[in-house]
Amino acid sequence: MFKSLTPLSAILGAALLCSCGGSSSPTATVAASTAHGTLALNPPFRIASLNAATFQAQLAASSSGAQLLQLAGNPSCGVDFYYIKFWTLGGAGETTESSGALMVPTGAAPACSGPRPIVLYAHGTNPLKTLNIADITNTTNTEGALIAAVFAAQGYIVVAPNYAGYDISTLGYHPFLNAQQQSGEMIDILTAARTALPNTMSSATSDSGKLFVTGYSEGGHVAMATQRALEASKAVVTGAAPMSGPYALEAFGDAIFFGNVDIGSTEFSPLLTTSYQKAYQNIYTTPSEVYSATYANGIETLLPSATPIDTIFSTGLLPESAEFDSTTPVVTVPNNPTESAELTALLSVPGSANYPPSLVTDQTPVFAAGFGSPYLINNSYRVTYALDAASNPDGAVPASTARPGAPPAAAEPTQTLRLAFYKNDLRNGDWQPNSPTLLCGGDGDPTVFFSVNTQVMATFWAPLVQAGLITVLDVGATPSGPFEAVQAGFQETQAAQLAAYESAAGGGLSPEAAETLILENYHTSVAPFCTVAARAFFSEL
Amino acid sequence: MTTFSARVLSAALATVSAGLYCAAPALADDSSPNSSPNSVRIGLYSVFFHVDADDLSGPFVPPGANLDARNVETLYLAYVRSLSSRFDVEVAAGYPPLQKTVGKGPATLGSVPYDGQVIATARWIAPTVLLEYKFLSESSRFRPYIGVGVNYTTFYDRNSTAQGNAISGGPTRLSLTSSVGPAGTVGVRYNIAGNWHAIASYSVSKVSTDLSADTAGEIRTTHINFGPQALVVAVGYSF
Repeated sequence: MFKSLTPLSAILGAALLCSCGGSSSPTATVAASTAHGTLALNPPFRIASLNAATFQAQLAASSSGAQLLQLAGNPSCGVDFYYIKFWTLGGAGETTESSGALMVPTGAAPACSGPRPIVLYAHGTNPLKTLNIADITNTTNTEGALIAAVFAAQGYIVVAPNYAGYDISTLGYHPFLNAQQQSGEMIDILTAARTALPNTMSSATSDSGKLFVTGYSEGGHVAMATQRALEASKAVVTGAAPMSGPYALEAFGDAIFFGNVDIGSTEFSPLLTTSYQKAYQNIYTTPSEVYSATYANGIETLLPSATPIDTIFSTGLLPESAEFDSTTPVVTVPNNPTESAELTALLSVPGSANYPPSLVTDQTPVFAAGFGSPYLINNSYRVTYALDAASNPDGAVPASTARPGAPPAAAEPTQTLRLAFYKNDLRNGDWQPNSPTLLCGGDGDPTVFFSVNTQVMATFWAPLVQAGLITVLDVGATPSGPFEAVQAGFQETQAAQLAAYESAAGGGLSPEAAETLILENYHTSVAPFCTVAARAFFSEL
Repeated sequence: MTTFSARVLSAALATVSAGLYCAAPALADDSSPNSSPNSVRIGLYSVFFHVDADDLSGPFVPPGANLDARNVETLYLAYVRSLSSRFDVEVAAGYPPLQKTVGKGPATLGSVPYDGQVIATARWIAPTVLLEYKFLSESSRFRPYIGVGVNYTTFYDRNSTAQGNAISGGPTRLSLTSSVGPAGTVGVRYNIAGNWHAIASYSVSKVSTDLSADTAGEIRTTHINFGPQALVVAVGYSF
C-alpha cells in the first residue's frame, strides 16, 4: 500500500507561498516630467569615484595624462564622476533627453568639500556621437580628463553636457553652434545638476552659489552664449572664460567662404548646415544645393557619427580638407565689372595667380589646402554666399569689404546660411558681458581664427564695457603680464613638440612636415593652457 | 518571473509525486506495518558554495569584476515520509538565511574597495524534494542512505548594501531568477530510541541564477552557478 502524500503537499504549498514574497532595494527615481531642466534620474549614476592619489596615478600612467598633471598640478581632491540625464529642447524646440557630467570634488581638505563653486563647461566639436564626457574610464575621453584634472581635482564642481544629438539623445542631429539651443541646454544641465547635487553619494560637497562658465572651441561659443543667456535672466555669473570659440560667426563664415578655409571645415560644414536646416528649415530644399554630388547623399545624418571621423574620411563620405572646388568660379555682378573681378579674385585659391597678393600671409598654404577635387561645397552655392557678403558686408571680414571706421558688427544678410551665421553671431543681440570675462586663444590657430573671433569680440565690446572687465589672453603672444607663465609654457611645449617630430625618435620628420603637424594640432594644443588660465582667472573672483 | 518559476516547480514536483505514486507499490517489497510513517527533523544546515560566475557585463564595468558567495549556516527543517522500509521521501528546507554576495576581482574599482566586499544580501528559500533509498534492515541502528531529487531555489529580500551601492554607482535594484536543478544526497540515519533518530548527510545540488542589477537605468548582468554543497546534522521525531 502506498501512503498518503498530503502532508508533503502542505509543506510544499507553504514553501511556494514564501517564495512569492520578495522585495528589492530601490534604484533611482525616474522623473515624471519631461520639462526642460528636469533631472531624468535622481540620484544620478556614479560612473567612478577616484580619490586624489588614484586619479593622479591614473593620469600619470599615460604620456598625455602626465603632461596634463604637469600643467594642471597634482590633484588636491578626489573626484566623483556622475552621469547626469536630463531633459532639454532641440534646435526646433523638440523635447529630448540629453546627458552629461557632474564631477564632484571629494576629500577631507577644506578646498574639496563643503560649499564649492560650479564650473559650467561646454566641450569642443566632437565627431563621435558616443561621446560621454562623464566617462573617465574611457581613455579617449581626453576632454573629460582635462576638465576633471584642471577644475574638479582642484575643488570646483564641474557640470558639462554631452549635447543633444550625442550619447543617449535620440534627437537625430546636433544643434551645432545654435546659440539659443546650446545656451538653453547648458542652463538645463545646470538646473538638473543642482537638483542632483544634494542626492549624490558626495553630498558633503555643495553648491556655493558661485558660477563660472567656460568652454573650448564650439564650447567657447556655447559658453559665451550661455553667459549672455544667464546674464539676461539675471542669474549669477561670477566669471566667464570662453576659449578659442567662433564667436563672431558671420565674420568667421565670411572668412572661410572667401577662401580662408580653416582646418576642420569639412567636418564643421555638415554639422552647421544640418543644425540650421533643422532649426530654421530654410538652408536648402535638398542638401545637393549646397553639397557636391560626391558627398550630398546622406550628409544630413553623417555627423555626429558612431563611426570614427578617420573612417568617414577614408571611406569617402567626406573629403578630408577639400571644402571648395579647386576650379574656382567666375563671379558676375551685373553692370559692375570691378566688383565682379574683385569677387572672382577673392574666391580663387589662396596664393594662386589671381588671388590678391595683399591677402597672402604665412597661413595661405593652410587655406589653399581647403581646395581640391572632389570637393564638398558647390561653387554655385559659394557664389550666392559671396554675393550676399558683398551686398551686406560684415564689418570685420574680409579686409577688402570692411567699412573703415565702422564697428565690426554683423549686418543682416539674406543668403540663408549667412543669415543663420548672423543669428548666432555673438555680436548680435545687443549684449556685452557684465561679469569678468577672459577670452583665451592662440593667434596662430588655423581652426578657429583668433583675429576674426576673439579679437573681433574684444574690439566690439571695448567701447561698451568698463575697463578691465574683459581680459584677452593670446597664448601665442610674447609672454608678459599675469598669464606670462601660461604663454611661455605653451610656446615652450610647441617648440619641444616640433623638435620631437623632427627627432629620430619622433619619426625624423622634415621641418615642413613637422610644422604641418604642429599646425594641424595647434587648436587642440592650446586647450589645456587656456583651461589652466581660466582656472587662474576664476580663482581670483 | 515568479509565476513562471512557480509553474516550473509545480511541474517538477508533480512529476516527482507521480513517480512516487507509481513506484510506491513496487517499492513496498518488504513492507511491514509502519505505525509512524511521518518524521520531522530539525538540525544544522551548513552550506558551502563553489561559485562559478561569469564576469559582470554592462556599462562602465571594468574587466575581471566577478562575484563570490559567502558560506552560510542555517536551521535545517525537513519532513520525511516513509514509503516503505527502503524508500523515503524527504522535503528539506533551510530557514531562509541571509546570503552575502561579495566582490571578486580587482582590489578597487576606481578608489572604491571591491574584492571581498559584501555588495549584496538576499534571503533564499530552497526546498529540495529527495527520494531516498535506505540500506541495511529496518532493525539496524545505522542506516546509510542515498537520495536524488529536485531543488528549487528562489531569492527574496534582495538588497544592495551601502558598499554595493558605492561600487555600482548608486542605489541598485537587484533581480535574481529562481533556479530548478537536480540534487543528490548521501547520509546516515541513527535510530536513537523510541521515536527519535539522528541523521548526518552531505548534499550537492545545481543552483544557478541570472543576476541583473539596475543602477539608475544602467543594467549589469551575470550568470552565477552557486555550486552549493551542504552538510546537515539533525535529529528527527517519527509519528
